[in-house]
Amino acid sequence: MLNIGLKSSKAKIIGEVTEIKISSLGHVYFSLKDEKDGAVINCIIWKTRYNLYGIRLEAGMKILASGYPEIYAPLGKLSFIAETIELAGEGELKKQYDELKKKLTEEGIFAEERKRPIPKYPQNIGVITSRQGAVLADFLNNVGKFGFKIKMIDSRVEGQEAVGDLLSSIKTFKNKDIDVLVIIRGGGSFESLMPFNNEALIREVANFKVPVIAGVGHHKDEPLITFAADVSVSTPTAAANYLNQSWEEALLLLERYERGIIGSYQEIFENYKTIENKLKISLQNFKNAISGVKIELRNYLDKSFAGFKSILSTLSEKLVQSEKVILLNNPERQLKLGYSIAIAEGGVIRKINDVKIGQSFDLRVSNGRINSEVKKLKIFETTDAWISDIPQN
Amino acid sequence: MVKEKSDSKNLNVNLKRLSEITEWFDSREEIDVEEGLEKVKEAVSLIKSSKERLKDIENEFEEIKKEVDSDKDEKQETLR
Repeated sequence: MLNIGLKSSKAKIIGEVTEIKISSLGHVYFSLKDEKDGAVINCIIWKTRYNLYGIRLEAGMKILASGYPEIYAPLGKLSFIAETIELAGEGELKKQYDELKKKLTEEGIFAEERKRPIPKYPQNIGVITSRQGAVLADFLNNVGKFGFKIKMIDSRVEGQEAVGDLLSSIKTFKNKDIDVLVIIRGGGSFESLMPFNNEALIREVANFKVPVIAGVGHHKDEPLITFAADVSVSTPTAAANYLNQSWEEALLLLERYERGIIGSYQEIFENYKTIENKLKISLQNFKNAISGVKIELRNYLDKSFAGFKSILSTLSEKLVQSEKVILLNNPERQLKLGYSIAIAEGGVIRKINDVKIGQSFDLRVSNGRINSEVKKLKIFETTDAWISDIPQN
Repeated sequence: MVKEKSDSKNLNVNLKRLSEITEWFDSREEIDVEEGLEKVKEAVSLIKSSKERLKDIENEFEEIKKEVDSDKDEKQETLR
């Protein structure tokens, strides 16, 4: 009953560690000495708790233990049951930080090759942070409207008590369907960020089933969780922006593709216009070629007509000429004009010498023949004599 | 339609014959009236039939020309 009452008497004790003893079961028995008056109190920290905080107690180490008093009934001995232990004094904290950082670095926990890329277009997001303060609001205000499904677990993020909360939150998320785990808190002093230097927490983060984004505010000594996380950013806003990144890139790509598609269509239309113009020109050329052929044909035709006409007129002329020749030579025409042809036995009488006096001959006139006889012969020496001998009517 | 050419209406033959006849007249110093008359009669007949044939050919040619011209006019009308 006394112990039940004492358990509610929570206290924090700062002191120097003396007399450390680790039992076979792993529980740690040690004493804390007050540096002012030298008062000493026996303390116990159970194995699970001791391992949780990653501090290897050594004599002379200055620590802050949180817990409650308890009386060990068989001996009536009062002990302080430490629930959490943490190093007191910046020098100690820094020393512990450096040692752990060195150890984990050597183990390869922080190695770059262990880092996993954040999946593109994440949807299911696990968030571990405190509902208190502006951190969660900053994160939610900056995370884009890309259909994120955010599951959040409230956890303390300051003081050694936070370690338990953070580990338990990670454990819960192990069974949740998430694409990315985000652990965020605002900035603070080196001491206040000590939970994020916890070895167990760092190992959990490094080995978590999906990539982890750590957004833990810091100044110079980065909490070790930031080295273990796959991606580390300095603020909750930056963590939100990181999640947005692939979606925003996708949007930009979509816009670019859209522009590309529109551009391609414009190009197609322009090409079509060019082809249409070329086609029009080709058609016009074809039309012109046809017209050219037609004109050429027409020329040939005209030339043929002209040539043929000229043949016809030549023929006609030839006929006329022939007609003239025939008319001129037509003996009937001569006879009708009054000329006659004297024909003796020897043929047509052309000269005086062709006949003799007393010789008979035929005189051919236009409508018959006259049997005649030569009675007198007279030679005309000149044409005039011939004309003057023609009887005048 | 190409008309069937009879011997008397074959222009080339006729013209050749006419040419022979006129040459005959030109080359004779002494004309045999009877033969000359026969030649004249033949020539007159050849001239007559040749003229007819020439007229036919001319008519046929004008027909063809008219046909071609009207075809051309129709096409020009269509193009307008």
